[in-house]
Amino acid sequence: MGRIDEVLELLTQLEKEKQEGVSAADIAFILGIDRSNVSRYLNILYKKGKVEKVNGRPVLYKSIKGYISSVCDEEDPYIGFNNSLDKLVGARQSLAIPIQKAKAAILYPPKGLHTLLLGETGVGKSMFAKLMYQFAIESKVVVENAPFIRFNCADYVDNPNLLTAQIFGVKKGAYTGADRDRDGLLKKADKGFIFLDEIHRLPPQGQEMLFTYIDNGFFRPLGDAENLIRVDVRIIAATTEDPKSHLLKTFTRRIPMIITLPPIRDRSLSERYSLIETFIREESHRLGMSIYINKNSIISYLLYDCPNNIGQLKSDIQLACAKAFLRYKSEQDDYLVINQGDLPNHVRKGILNINQYRKEIEELLNSTYDVFKFDQHERPPLSLKEDENISGDFYTAIEERLESLKEAGMDEQAINEIMNIDIESHFRKYIGHIYRRFDRRGISNVVNEDILQVAEEILLLAQKHLGKEFDEKIYFGLSFHLERSIERIRRGEKIYNPKLNFIRINYEEEFLFAVKIAKLLDNKFNIETPVDEIGYLAMFFTTDSNNKFIERKPKVGVIVAMHGRSTASSMVEVANSLIGVEHAVALDMPLSMKPKNMYELTKNKVLEIDEGKGVIMMVDMGSLTNFGDMIWEETGIEVRTIEKVSTPMVIEVLRKVILGYELDEVVNSFVGKVSIKDEVSKPMRDENVIITACFTGDGASKKLESIIRSNLDGENLEIVPINIIDEERLEKRIDRLANKYNVMAIVATVDIDIDYIPFVTAMDILQGDGIEKLKKIIEQENIYSKIGESLQEHITNLDGKEITRDIKYLIRSIEKGLGLEVVSDAKIGIVLHIAFLIDNLLNGVLPRRFDNLEAYSNLYAKEMGIIRRCILLMEKKYGISVEDDELAYILKLFLLNQKLV
Amino acid sequence: MLNIVLVCSAGMSTSLLVSKMNKVAKEKGLDVNVIAIAEADVKNNMDKVDVMLLGPQVRYLLPKMREMMEVKGVPVDIVDTVSYGTMDGEKVLEQALSMVKDK
Repeated sequence: MGRIDEVLELLTQLEKEKQEGVSAADIAFILGIDRSNVSRYLNILYKKGKVEKVNGRPVLYKSIKGYISSVCDEEDPYIGFNNSLDKLVGARQSLAIPIQKAKAAILYPPKGLHTLLLGETGVGKSMFAKLMYQFAIESKVVVENAPFIRFNCADYVDNPNLLTAQIFGVKKGAYTGADRDRDGLLKKADKGFIFLDEIHRLPPQGQEMLFTYIDNGFFRPLGDAENLIRVDVRIIAATTEDPKSHLLKTFTRRIPMIITLPPIRDRSLSERYSLIETFIREESHRLGMSIYINKNSIISYLLYDCPNNIGQLKSDIQLACAKAFLRYKSEQDDYLVINQGDLPNHVRKGILNINQYRKEIEELLNSTYDVFKFDQHERPPLSLKEDENISGDFYTAIEERLESLKEAGMDEQAINEIMNIDIESHFRKYIGHIYRRFDRRGISNVVNEDILQVAEEILLLAQKHLGKEFDEKIYFGLSFHLERSIERIRRGEKIYNPKLNFIRINYEEEFLFAVKIAKLLDNKFNIETPVDEIGYLAMFFTTDSNNKFIERKPKVGVIVAMHGRSTASSMVEVANSLIGVEHAVALDMPLSMKPKNMYELTKNKVLEIDEGKGVIMMVDMGSLTNFGDMIWEETGIEVRTIEKVSTPMVIEVLRKVILGYELDEVVNSFVGKVSIKDEVSKPMRDENVIITACFTGDGASKKLESIIRSNLDGENLEIVPINIIDEERLEKRIDRLANKYNVMAIVATVDIDIDYIPFVTAMDILQGDGIEKLKKIIEQENIYSKIGESLQEHITNLDGKEITRDIKYLIRSIEKGLGLEVVSDAKIGIVLHIAFLIDNLLNGVLPRRFDNLEAYSNLYAKEMGIIRRCILLMEKKYGISVEDDELAYILKLFLLNQKLV
Repeated sequence: MLNIVLVCSAGMSTSLLVSKMNKVAKEKGLDVNVIAIAEADVKNNMDKVDVMLLGPQVRYLLPKMREMMEVKGVPVDIVDTVSYGTMDGEKVLEQALSMVKDK
């Protein structure tokens, strides 16, 4: 009985007197263990709904009735591991599924399920059957002294009548030699179990009788037509036959629960080690002395070919122990040591396989010792016992272990030695280093054939769709997983995946693929795969998921700042929880708050969250729109502002940020979309504007304004003087003007480098040909506007004026990028070329191939790159994708039409 | 029948202009056929050409085309930028006809 059960039992006793409840200290005092440990146990019990809490100081606990009877059949990682089945070596590993099935067979209401055990010779079927019986007693399904009758059908193989009579009983004279009425074993097993080994030896007549009993709950003894015998017996049948064999099909059809026990080659090395250890310890106990064994011998036992499984392993170990014991006696050694010479020949060969498993062996036997000691005093067998505490509290397990060793009267050195192995093994289990090794044949014993097929199908699909290779490990893993998850879904148990949103975002492709796979599974197995499970499936397709999940790359920061008490908070809450992160930060600005205070708050937040990737500020309106640029200037941290923000926008930005987009990628993709909306909502103005700029926006720019106005009198244009130095960046303000008006040129006292707008220096205006330049610009602008009007009439997909202006800007930025100027006549042609190109793309017209595209793009690789970059904005804005052929045509037009300087 | 050929870079921008020119010619009862071809296809279409006009964006072809066509007595010029930009079929047709007359 585990500590936790002790605690509970004591609690139920104590509360008979203390009706108000029992405190942890009470229990700790009586059990003589630490109060904090007791508290921990009580909390576990509380979480399991086994006890209730009475709040106060100290907290009191009361049991919740009905617990005691169910303690044993709990499938809980913390408690309930005291039943016979869970003590088996490999209970949490390769026997996990068999044990789970066995428990289900025993507990299935009302009377459990008859069970067929499959497995090769020596895998432990008899023992497993016996343990199922034990488990039935422990879970109070049968009474303590219920019968367990074992019968090997092979024993009477020469005499089918006798065999059948043994099981079902016989009426006198039923066959020659049946000289009296006799009860069968089935009747003797009433209210208990009958274990029928080698069931495939049962003759057809016996099979029929057995099935009658399975189907109806009664049978007739051999030769008896009158008496129906009703019994309540659970049958556990076993066979080494291949489950696919014809003979066995009749059984697999009629017996509802089929449990396959894996052969030893399919069990992990750590499990095999545990088996070896168990057997040596058993011998040690039998001999009444410690047994030492050298490391190489252990390795041989771990790696030799052992076709008759656990049974063979056990006898091979017994053999070596016997030999070593003999030597110990005859040579009067001080110790009983097993070395290589004691091992049977075929076992010794095991060490030859070391190269294949070196790493695992080293992990498993990671110790400096060359000789291992197995001590007779320790009972139950020490260390490396099954993963008892794998999900429990590691340190508690260690403490308890230490305690029990001390109680056993061991000296300090021995304890240290053992603890060394213990801690090591616990950690190993925690880290979960050791993969199970299965070959194809092996795995088919553990996982259903149809699931294996589906797993293979899925991985083939995955390779095709995701373009990845998957190794056998994934195949096995997926098969195991499917087996369990499908069962789980069928049982209607909830599946929870805490990583779901993370997976959905970071492994979008894999997730979408998993959705398809889920459909496939749904149809095939007639289930409904929940989305959490889809997340798990997706994880299988992200081969290097293990590493990526931990790694965290710096990301762009996101601040949502809004007027109002909680607007920002609620937006951020929605976005964060939808994306499944805590990345976006909210800053609420109540109307009473002064902008200055808000600014400080915002600035500090930017400083706090910036990871070197810049910060996106998403704001609604007013003073908040300027904060970003101000903070940028003041702190040097790149801040971009997106205005008039809505919740969907926050989600979109956050999604991109989490995906690892760079600052500009996020903002650009966004600004494009927004500006389309803006322009649809507010009709574009045709006003032509020339911007004049000086530092203050007052002196020189006003002067320039009047000079230009007087020289260009009669032209249809506005002149807008602005200041260069402002809280808001100049580029941004010019962008805004350019969005509203047709900005033809900028005239300024300092160089202003805006890609898409021609620039004239103030000096030129005052002393040179600046006015002439402006006139030419205006002339060209007029042609542009005519083109725009004309396009307006001819193109249906696009707003002629808008596209003309966009292309004009595009041409400017390409010129800038290529460092050339195109003769103005050619520009008109280029405008039309690009306008029709976009129109054609929108109409789905295929592009014309460019002759020798490859050679051309190699020759002008850099220039092609520039064109591609410049055209990106158009692609985004118009939702098109421009191919290399078209880029090459465009590049050619620029290169061949450049002005010769 | 007068064959007028318009050349541009990828046949992208001239087709609309061509159809407008043909329409105007029909209205005026002129026996004219206007076609648009891409720069790369000129070589294969040199036979049935009486007048050749280049889009302003392929103006760089002018010397080459003149050399190639004028030996055949085919006049070559660049479309007037404004007419081209506004896709003024009538004006461009006029330009083409005048080129033949001038010859």
